[in-house]
Formats: sequence, structure tokens, C-alpha cells
Amino acid sequence: MNVPLDPKTLVAEMSPVSTSEHIAAMKKALLKNIQRSAYVYRVDCGGCNGCEIEIFSSITPVFDAERFGIKVVASPRHADILLFTGAVTRAMRMPGLRAYEAAPDPKIVVSYGACGCTGGIFHDLYCVWGGTDNIVPVDVYIPGCPPTPAATIHGFAVALGLLEQKLKAETHVEAAGETAALPHPDIPYALRVRLEREARRMAGYRQGRDIAEEFMALLEGRAHTPGSFTLLECMMEAIAEERDPRRAEIIGHLAEVVQQAIRGEAPRGETP
Amino acid sequence: MLKLLKEIFRTGEATVKYPFAPMPVCKDFRGKPEHKAEDCIACAACTVACPANAIGMETDTAAGSRTWSIDYGRCVFCGRCEESCPTSAIRLSDDFELAVGSKADLTRKAVFTLADCACCGKPFAPAKEVDYVARLLSQSARSAEEADRLRLTASTCPACKRAQDVHHIADMGIARQMTQELETTP
Ligand code: SF4
Ligand code: SF4
Ligand code: SF4
Repeated sequence: MNVPLDPKTLVAEMSPVSTSEHIAAMKKALLKNIQRSAYVYRVDCGGCNGCEIEIFSSITPVFDAERFGIKVVASPRHADILLFTGAVTRAMRMPGLRAYEAAPDPKIVVSYGACGCTGGIFHDLYCVWGGTDNIVPVDVYIPGCPPTPAATIHGFAVALGLLEQKLKAETHVEAAGETAALPHPDIPYALRVRLEREARRMAGYRQGRDIAEEFMALLEGRAHTPGSFTLLECMMEAIAEERDPRRAEIIGHLAEVVQQAIRGEAPRGETP
Repeated sequence: MLKLLKEIFRTGEATVKYPFAPMPVCKDFRGKPEHKAEDCIACAACTVACPANAIGMETDTAAGSRTWSIDYGRCVFCGRCEESCPTSAIRLSDDFELAVGSKADLTRKAVFTLADCACCGKPFAPAKEVDYVARLLSQSARSAEEADRLRLTASTCPACKRAQDVHHIADMGIARQMTQELETTP
């Protein structure tokens, strides 16, 4: 069995980078009265490059991070903010530390993307440290894989103290007598499975479920409204109203599944 | 020059108003996975499906609890959890503003209680899951007795089920039946 290896045990001596109180105070002062542009230096520590693309799209005219004075610079010596992307491969540890040391104090370290925050999808690879905070102290985490340009701007605003963070750690404890509701109790379970299976076969998992949900809501709605409509007429109406021919076809198939179930036939490809 | 100005006016302003105005997201945008713990039955389907191991489950049999947790810092927003959830308890929302200053704020937890086996009395599965399965099975039962039997099956742990099966097979007396059949066949 593969026992996950703690990368910290692989290096003989690894003194944690720590910031003194003096620097922390300077950082606070910087955040409070930063009267100029905030310069950002981007340290790519071995991600897939998705994050880099999103960083660059957030300085395009559409998102234009430069209107807030956020400017990407070419050297860590000019930087106020260090933006670490990637899961920190073993080879990038030293260059990452060098970039950190090269930036003048006070500096703000932002960990960008799922890789930067925790290692993301690469967290248990043999050759990664799994997150920026394993090598340098981090001030702000921007999760996302990759974070969208809007999320990037929000992250910078949080880093510069302009916006409050929205997430808070929460723990839900099961209340006494808490039960999960059965979905669509009026529709027989076997039929529900057949409908969901057919919809998902045709439209994929996510959209398939959405279409099946809509369809079952339609079925239930019909059962609760007294009228002279037959099931078939109701379905035909739904299909006629549907603008998207692909969805109309799927709804047609689902109607066929219901008809089959009413006639007592087995689903396609199965023997009764 | 005039041509350029005209072009500029025609294009208008391309820059979005965000963060001063809310950012519209497209349909089926995959943002933060929102977990409705009330609907969750702690079945662990999402835990198995999650490619980044962002969702985890920890069972504490001594305390009789199972803790579901998600780490938004590790999530890659793929939507597998939402696809696999039987009760639609987890769904990817429109929310993308996830930046935090402390890493602890990236986690969510939900604690569920474990149900005791109807036979041996040891905790074996989340109470909500047992209850959900029992209701689902008895929904399709043909008679009240069958519903009761299914409910009992759902609240029995796998070890006890196996033991009962062995007893059941012994009671069936297959060997006896076969000898009888041999004797009666001419
Ligand atoms: S967070 Fe995702 S997009 Fe960014 S570097 Fe890692 S894998 Fe690539
Ligand atoms: S969206 Fe994907 S990575 Fe995120 S919690 Fe769900 S399954 Fe895991
Ligand atoms: S798949 Fe759904 S019900 Fe099961 S543990 Fe995950 S969120 Fe809860």
C-alpha cells in the first residue's frame, strides 16, 4: 500500500520561514496607507499553466486589474505582492524561496489556485510539496482551478484589505430527528431510476439529471392538476413548447419510457 | 483619427463593473460546491467520486459519529460530487468569491450520528442513510410485511446479514432435501 509521504521528512533541515513582529507591523502599515500601485510578481511553482492564463486574462481590458493599480512586474525586487501558483514541485522550492527572499519587506504573499492553496489535484504526488504555505508564510489564499478573473480581482481586493472575505469555517451537527426527504415520492422508484438513467444516457450526468428533474416535476404537476388531459397530450404539449430540439428529443424519449412503464414493458436492453 | 474615434465610440466600454457591481456568471457555471447538510445522508458517494480528495469522511465508532468535510482550497470544481449525490445535497453554486486570509476558513464540516445494527447493536452506518434507504425500499414494497422485512434488512449490519444468511441456508436443509429426492426417484 502507498503510504502518503510527508514531503517535510525528505529534506534534512528545513527552517521554516518566519516573519518578525516588526515586519508584521510594517505590513499592516503598508496595507493601511498604500497610496500607490501594488506591484505583483508571479512565481510559477509548477502548476499546469491554467492559473497563469487566468492571471493574464485578469489584466486584459475586460477585467482590467490595472484600474486598481495592480500591475504585474518582471522582477521580485519590485514586488509588493508575490503570487505563488502551482503545487510547489521539489525543483521549484529553492527558486520559490529565492523569489521570496528577493522581494523587499513588507511583502504580501498570495497563494493562487487550488494547487497553491493545498496542492489541489496534485496534492498527493510524490514530487510536490503540496501548497505554497509549506515553504513560505501565506497571507491570502485564492482557491479555484483556476480562479476566474473575477475571483482573482476579489482575491486581490481581500489581500489589499479592500473587501472582506466571505467564507467562514462552519460545522453542521445533525439535529435530532433530521431526515432527508425522498425525492418525488409520488413516482414509483423503478420508474424514477429508468427516467434518470435514460436522461443521463442522452444528455450526460449533470444536464441529464436536470432534465429528468424537470420532467418528473411535470409528471407530478400533471397528477395534481385535475383536467381532461391524458398523459400523452401533456407530454406532446411539453415537447411542442420546447425550443431546443435536442431537449425536445430527450423529453420525447422520457415520455416513451413512461409509456413503456405503463404498458408494463421492460426497459430497452433488459428482459422483464 | 476620426475613424479611430468612431471605432472607440462604437465599441463602448469593454471593462466589466466588477467588483463594484455583481458579476453575472453563465448558466451551469461551476462555482463553490454548496452542501446542504440537512439533505445529506452521509453516504460517502461524493467522497469516492472527488478526484482531488477535497471531500473526506471520518468515522468515529467510539463517539458514534461520522464527519463529512470539504476543503474548498483543494476542490478543482469538476462537479463529480454533484453528479454522484443521490439526494442532490451537494450542488455547485454561482459563488466564486472564495478568497480567504486563513486556511481554516476554507473548510466545511457536517457531523452525523451512526445508527446501531438492529441485530448486534454495534454502530455501522449513518442513521440518516439507514432511514433514507429503509423509506426508499419500503416505498416499492408490495405489502406491509415486506416493507417491515426490508426495513429490518436495511438496519442490519453486513456482518450480521452474512451470519443470518448462513443460518438461513442451514435451515433450508438442502442436503436433507437432496437425499429425499434421491430416495423417491425410481
Ligand atoms: S490550480 Fe488548477 S489551473 Fe491552477 S495550476 Fe493548479 S491544476 Fe492548473
Ligand atoms: S467539485 Fe470536484 S473536486 Fe470539488 S468537491 Fe466536488 S468532486 Fe471534489
Ligand atoms: S453524496 Fe450527497 S448525500 Fe452522499 S455524502 Fe455526499 S453530499 Fe451527502
